[in-house]
Amino acid sequence: MHLDPFELHQPATVDEALCIYRDHAGDADYLAGGTDLLPNYKMHLNLRRHLIALGGIPELGGIALGRLGSMTRLADLEGSGPVAGAYPGVAEAVAEVATPLVRASGTVGGNLMLETRCFFFNQSRFWRASLGYCLKAEGAVCHVVPQKEKCYATFSGDLAPALAVLDAEVEVATDRGRTRIPLIDLYDLRGDGIRRHTLPPSAIVVAVHLPPIARQRLGTYRKLRIRPAFDFPELGVAVAVRFEGSSVAELRVAVGGLETAPRRFDELTDPLAGQQLTEERIRELAGAITRSVRPVYNTFLPPDYRRRMTGVFVRRALVDLAPASSAAA
Amino acid sequence: MSRDRPLELTVNDQPVESAAPEERILLDFLREDLELVGTKRGCDLGTCGCCTVWVDGRPTLSCLTLAHLVKGRSVTTIEGLAPPTRLTALQRAFVEHGATQCGFCTPGFIMTASALLRDHPHPSRPQILRVIGGNLCRCTGYTKIIEAIEAVAREST
Repeated sequence: MHLDPFELHQPATVDEALCIYRDHAGDADYLAGGTDLLPNYKMHLNLRRHLIALGGIPELGGIALGRLGSMTRLADLEGSGPVAGAYPGVAEAVAEVATPLVRASGTVGGNLMLETRCFFFNQSRFWRASLGYCLKAEGAVCHVVPQKEKCYATFSGDLAPALAVLDAEVEVATDRGRTRIPLIDLYDLRGDGIRRHTLPPSAIVVAVHLPPIARQRLGTYRKLRIRPAFDFPELGVAVAVRFEGSSVAELRVAVGGLETAPRRFDELTDPLAGQQLTEERIRELAGAITRSVRPVYNTFLPPDYRRRMTGVFVRRALVDLAPASSAAA
Repeated sequence: MSRDRPLELTVNDQPVESAAPEERILLDFLREDLELVGTKRGCDLGTCGCCTVWVDGRPTLSCLTLAHLVKGRSVTTIEGLAPPTRLTALQRAFVEHGATQCGFCTPGFIMTASALLRDHPHPSRPQILRVIGGNLCRCTGYTKIIEAIEAVAREST
């Protein structure tokens, strides 16, 4: 498939990239690894006439304990022993993204900013035209939950939940300067679902920052999908926990692949601080999370199965991470 | 109006001076502009790995790479692995093990597996399975492909 014509910009600095975006606001996209954007362009999904490639900006690179440049290739993160060793949940998540060939090009920032996905969106223009398109691209109605206000496309990045449970922050460059926000605040379930993040359209994710405490947490990432390669998550569960003795110091659980945004369940996990992670508490937490998520039928597996597997994955992850004394069956 | 922009790069160790529109995909540039049709267009969406080439030695999906973003870099295609009348050890092993049936996925597998064997001359079977996870074959069931890769790994010193 040939791509429709666009102008390719290759800025050397973040400020230059922001400036180019400003000149073409509304008609430009940033290009990171291209493994999500270019397939969407080939499907004629929300085309823009200006592509701003971020690969030539040195500041966006670099991988170190505590800082992942947004243009870090997923394969480089996977292959970085010290970083992967310090954040085992992130290492598991990155190794499960798509395929080695996609990870050779795909980036950390691109995975965080991944376009949301849906049966009715990720289709050829011909296919979509037959249904009068959809709310997310060129149409006025959502075909998953028929109405005209909210798009239900699924957030399908693997890294966001794995980084969110480590209390990662993202450094963001906008026209008004630099800010740092909690990574989980990139996403908002209450949005219209069409926009996949909460940042201004011109914003550039510069880097992910991980606090020192992240290195003291045990972590894991569990991914539900049909094939063990390529598939986007039908469900992704990330758990990170730090114990003091046999009690929980902090516990974080986040999910992706279920709704329009990844979610962290601090309101359910914070009360567990200072407690033993008993089998009963694990079961209660898994049940509460299962009751709270609302997947819809727009991926391969039925939503009720994905919802119930959420509890199963949360329980298995916590049983595996808990000290033998507290979660012993 | 021509929108072509000059594009210089190295392809199979030869300098190439060409021009292409800014939206040109590397796969199309190789197949249509340079007539290097050994690199195959499978899904065209990054799923199948048929279009795998090396960019600076690293296996890369040419269907999801913009030609202008590899400007000045070194691209290796299946045509560049051995002289026209010769086969590499891995290509020979594919023939001997019947790892090629319809043959459409073969260039992609060869590019992926050759890079693996170059970097890890004695990969384990799980390592092989993992690395070829981005290449799809609908004929062989993969067994013969894996055996061909393992045969080369056994023979290498």
